[in-house]
Amino acid sequence: MTFKNLEKIAPFVFIGPAVIILFLIVIFPMVYSIGISLSEWNLMRGGNWKFVGLRNYYYTFFQDPDFYTSLKVTLIYVATAVGLELLLGLGVALLLNRPLKKIGIMRTILVIPTTMTPVVVGIIWRLLYNPELGVLNYFLELFGFQKLNWLGDPNLALPSVIMADIWEWTPFMALILLAGLQSLPKEPFEASIVDGASYLQLFRYITFPLLLPTLIVALLLRVMDAFKTFDLIFVLTKGGPGLSTELLSFYTYKYGFKFFHMGRASALSYILFLILFVITQFFLKYYRSGEE
Amino acid sequence: MNISLGKRKTVNFFLAIITIVVFVFILFPPLMLFMTSIKRNVDALRYPPVWIFRPIGSNYLEIFNLIPFGNYLINSLIVATISTFLALFIGSMAAYGLTRFQFRRSKDLSFWILSIRMTPPVASIIPIFIIMRTLKLLDSPIALVIAYFTFNIPFAVWLLRSFFLEIPREIEESAMVDGCSSYSTFFRISLPLIAPGLAATGIFTFIFSWNEFLFALILTGTRAQTVPVALTGFIRETGIMWSHMAAAGVLAMVPMILFTALAQKNLVKGLTMGAIK
Repeated sequence: MTFKNLEKIAPFVFIGPAVIILFLIVIFPMVYSIGISLSEWNLMRGGNWKFVGLRNYYYTFFQDPDFYTSLKVTLIYVATAVGLELLLGLGVALLLNRPLKKIGIMRTILVIPTTMTPVVVGIIWRLLYNPELGVLNYFLELFGFQKLNWLGDPNLALPSVIMADIWEWTPFMALILLAGLQSLPKEPFEASIVDGASYLQLFRYITFPLLLPTLIVALLLRVMDAFKTFDLIFVLTKGGPGLSTELLSFYTYKYGFKFFHMGRASALSYILFLILFVITQFFLKYYRSGEE
Repeated sequence: MNISLGKRKTVNFFLAIITIVVFVFILFPPLMLFMTSIKRNVDALRYPPVWIFRPIGSNYLEIFNLIPFGNYLINSLIVATISTFLALFIGSMAAYGLTRFQFRRSKDLSFWILSIRMTPPVASIIPIFIIMRTLKLLDSPIALVIAYFTFNIPFAVWLLRSFFLEIPREIEESAMVDGCSSYSTFFRISLPLIAPGLAATGIFTFIFSWNEFLFALILTGTRAQTVPVALTGFIRETGIMWSHMAAAGVLAMVPMILFTALAQKNLVKGLTMGAIK
């Protein structure tokens, strides 16, 4: 091939490999998964696929009350955890958005929960929540309260997992929002201070509107991640007690790799996929409007 | 400003207190893990918790004998390293191509790649498990390398894309005028220019691969197991081996914390895939 020809196909040489790999290892399996979701196929019992049409979806939507429980738990989890993380993260970001001497070290500390292995986060909180030897119950007793069965009580398990999630991800929110705050233009603030605006007015009319794009990006990123939460549940509660912490991702995993009911698991995974697809579209639209 | 100096001092004092509380709240849990890891098992199981004890380091050595923790560390290291280099190679080529060649729908292609990043892992693991099973790749590091490297490509493309966009066009154009092909411009000019970006991207993809749990749980058995899966192995029917699990947990997380300290400058960019600079 001549130099000119090689130059002509350059876009394909550069971009092609990535696209081909993504097609082979993401898109093709996902299409294959549609096929599985339309079949009756139990890995344990062996045998072949049996095409059953939409029966798996029908079962999930109309005959499986556990699905709705799991969906409800997931929505409560995502809304509460991400909501609180956003509020607390904004608080921390505002707190640190001052001339501080040790801001470098503070940033390094903030990133610890975010980049720590999620399984280790689960282990840490299991240690803290342990009803017999956990330090949280020790503090409760110290201040004269009753010990709590943090992860074993059906009413308390979900809030406990949410608290671990908040510990893990609030610093992430704070880091992003802090970066957002520090990149805001200075002029509107100076002008309003000269005009005698109070701190709250500054926040309400200047900081918040200017920070909103960053806030939305952080929020959407977190919502998408929270829907996928799996590791924390696996280590802390395995979905229990009962179904009180059964997030959709864990429920899907259980159908696939505990019951080996691949058809139903694939149907469930497509429902989760569609929920995330819709949120992703919002994110992409928002991201794109910012780029253009 | 007409706030008195005294009032301002009180406000700053309270803000300092809140800041300290926030950081204690962040640091306390990992510190508890570290404390447990240097306690003898009897001390770790004592209630009320003992705060003063003779620290020991033997838990860190014992985990290598109790379970083949060394093998798991090596597995994690191999899988994370190889998948990071592959993702950087394929990802940087694609990122360069997407920022330099303007063709119809090149923007759509970029966003299509980004959207793949959002696929829930539990949805892709089912078909991938079945495919790997058919290919007889279960419990082999190859399966994990393939999975991690692929799922890191969208991240790498997007982060590197933001670095390539920062290179002034003129530098590349003058190389082209001097007779460089796109290929040699890429390897000799552009890639070296974004070296810090490559390093930051690599650090992130390494951390993602090191920390990943679901794929490792399902695609590996005893041989190819990685550290996160091995950690959950300390939770047994007979009880949890707290101090050993804590020691293994510390070993799993410390390298990642050191790594992120290296990527400090590009941290937020990395955490948001370039959406926020």
